[in-house]
Amino acid sequence: MSRKLIEFRDVSFRYGEEQPWVLRNCSFEIYEGEWVAIIGHNGSGKSTIAKLINGLLFPQKGEILIDGQQVNEETIWDIRKEVGMVFQNPDNQFVGTTVQDDVAFGMENRGTPREEMVTRIEETLSAVGMEDYRFTEPHRLSGGQKQRVAIASVLAISPKVLILDEATAMLDPKGRTEIMRTVSNVQNKEDLSLITITHDLQEVVQADRVIVMNKGEIWDRATPREIFSKKDSLREIGLDVPFVAILADELKETGINLTKEPLNHEELLEDLWILHSQT
Amino acid sequence: MDITFTNVSYIYQRNTPFAHQAIKDLNFHIPSGSFVAIVGHTGSGKSTLLQHLNGLVTPSEGEVKIGEYKLTPKEKPTNLKELRSRVGVVFQYPEHQLFEETVAKDIAFGPENFGVPKETINERIKRVIPAVGLSEDMLERSPFDLSGGQMRRVAIAGVLAINPDVLVLDEPTAGLDPRGQKEIMEMFNTMHKEQGLTTILVTHSMEDALKYADHVIILNKGTKYMEGSPEEVFTQKDALKQVQLDVPEVIQLLNAFEDKFSISIPFHGQTVQEIAETIHSIVKDGVSNE
Ligand SMILES: Nc1ncnc2c1ncn2[C@@H]1O[C@H](COP(=O)(O)OP(=O)(O)OP(=O)(O)O)[C@@H](O)[C@H]1O
Ligand SMILES: Nc1ncnc2c1ncn2[C@@H]1O[C@H](COP(=O)(O)OP(=O)(O)OP(=O)(O)O)[C@@H](O)[C@H]1O
Ligand SMILES: [Mg+2]
Ligand SMILES: [Mg+2]
Repeated sequence: MSRKLIEFRDVSFRYGEEQPWVLRNCSFEIYEGEWVAIIGHNGSGKSTIAKLINGLLFPQKGEILIDGQQVNEETIWDIRKEVGMVFQNPDNQFVGTTVQDDVAFGMENRGTPREEMVTRIEETLSAVGMEDYRFTEPHRLSGGQKQRVAIASVLAISPKVLILDEATAMLDPKGRTEIMRTVSNVQNKEDLSLITITHDLQEVVQADRVIVMNKGEIWDRATPREIFSKKDSLREIGLDVPFVAILADELKETGINLTKEPLNHEELLEDLWILHSQT
Repeated sequence: MDITFTNVSYIYQRNTPFAHQAIKDLNFHIPSGSFVAIVGHTGSGKSTLLQHLNGLVTPSEGEVKIGEYKLTPKEKPTNLKELRSRVGVVFQYPEHQLFEETVAKDIAFGPENFGVPKETINERIKRVIPAVGLSEDMLERSPFDLSGGQMRRVAIAGVLAINPDVLVLDEPTAGLDPRGQKEIMEMFNTMHKEQGLTTILVTHSMEDALKYADHVIILNKGTKYMEGSPEEVFTQKDALKQVQLDVPEVIQLLNAFEDKFSISIPFHGQTVQEIAETIHSIVKDGVSNE
C-alpha cells in the first residue's frame, strides 16, 4: 500500500460556538498518487474540508494528519508548502500585480532558484494557455482566464497535495478537459495526491475514488462506477449522474442488457457493439 | 425590450499601452421576449458584452440600444438608474454583487434603491428565497459566511427581487449542485415565459443552451462567429471545433455512434428516451426506425 498523505480522524467542525456543526465525525484517508473527487450539495462542507487540510481552519474535534504530521498552528507553514490549493473564487488568492508575478510568488516563498522559476513560469502558463498574458494584471482577466492562471500558479510549486475547489467551473467543456488533462499528467508524473471538489460529473468520472458529502457527513465513498450506479439515492441528496448513465438507464428500459454501468461514451458504445455483433 | 448592437467595439484601458480590444465590430438584434444564449471560448468577450446591457460600460465605438435607452461612446442614458431597474444582471462571480451585512439587506438593496415600498420588498423576499432554493433562516446571516453555491443563490435572489424586464445571466449555474442547476434553470425558464421577459444567458453548458434558448450567438475573439437556432448551430461540429467549442453531449454521443455503427441518427430535439429506442432498434434489429 502506498503512503497515506491525508488522514481525517473523526473530524467535526463549526464556524463558531453558537453555530451549527458543519462537519460531523468525518474520517477518511487519501493516498499518494491518488485522485479523489469530493462531491455533495451546496453547503455540504466540501470547501470547509479543503480549508481544514491546509490549516486555514482547525477542527474542534478530531485530528487531521498531512503526510503523518498533525495540522496545527506550529505545523501549518510546513504543511502549506506541501499543499497547493485553488479556491472557488480565484480573486481571493491573487497576490501578484501581474500574471507572471502571481505564478512566481509561490516559488519565491519556497526558495526556487531564479532560472528554474523562469522556465517554470513559461511552462505552466503555456500549459494552461495563458502565455500571452504574462504582464496582465490578474483582476483584468476574464472569469475563465483567472481560473487558468490560478491553476498555473499552483502547478508551478509542484506540491505533494493539490486541492482544486471548483477550479474549472468557469471553463468551457473543452477547456475544462484540456486543463484537467494537464493537471492529471502532472499528477501522474509527480505522484501527487489530487483532490478535486466539483459539481461536474464528467470530472468525477475520471477520479480514482469519490467521497460524497451530505449535510456535513460522509455519505459514501467508492469508485465513480459504484457511486453512479446509485442513481436514485444520489438524486435524493441533490446530486445526479452523467448523461451516459441516464442514457444507459433508458436503454435498459427498452430491454437492452448492458454488461456494466458505463462511465463514458466509449464504454457504452463498446458494450452496444458487442450486443450488435451477437444479434 | 428589444436589444440591438450596431458596429460595437469595446477597448479596455483605451489610449494606454495596455489597451485591449475585447469586442470588435459586433452586430446583432435580439427581439423582445427572446431567450438568447451567448457562448464562446474563455476570453471571447461574453462578459464584456453583457456589461453594456445595463450601462456598466459604454461602447468605445458603435451603438447599443436597449428598448428606448441608447448607449454610444458619447452618450449614456440620463436615466441610467431606470435602465438598471429594468435590466437585472447576475454576474459571473457572485461575490462581486454581494456587499450588505445580511442576506435580507442584500436582496432588498436593489429594490430599495429603485424606490420600491418596504412591504412590497418584504413580499418579494418571501417569494424569491424559495425560488432560489434557500430557506428563510438564512436571511439574517452574513452573505460572506456562506458556501459558494449559497452565495450564488443570494446573488440571483437579489436580481429577481428587482422584477426586471430583461434578465442577464453570466454563467448563473456555475457553483450550483446538480439539482440546483436544474431547478434554477427551470425557474428562469418559467419566469421568462410567464412574465414575458427577454433573457440573455451566457453559458458553457451547450445542453442548457440547446434546451432553453431559442437563439444562439457564438462569439470568437470579440466578434460574432455564428448565430442561429440551437439546432442549426449545434450540429455544425467542425465549425464549432474551429473556435474550440464542442457540440452538446447528446450530439457528441450520436456522432460517436455513427463512427462505430456507420448509421447516422440525426438530432432534431429527441428526448433521451426516444434516442434510446432508436439505438435499441439499430442494435437489436440492425435497422433504424426513423
Ligand atoms: N465563514 C463561514 N461562517 C459561517 N458559516 C459558514 C462559513 N463558511 C461556510 N459556512 C457554512 O458552512 C456550511 C458548509 O459550507 P462549505 O463552504 O464547506 O460548503 P460546500 O460544500 O463547499 O458548498 P458549495 O458547493 O456551495 O461550495 C454551509 O452551511 C455554510 O453556510
Ligand atoms: N477589466 C479588464 N481590463 C482589461 N482587459 C480585460 C478586462 N476584463 C476583461 N478583459 C479582457 O477582455 C477579453 C474579454 O474578456 P471577457 O471577460 O469579456 O471574456 P469572457 O468571454 O466573459 O470569458 P470567460 O468565459 O473566461 O468568462 C479577455 O481577453 C480579457 O483578458
Ligand atoms: Mg464550496
Ligand atoms: Mg466571462
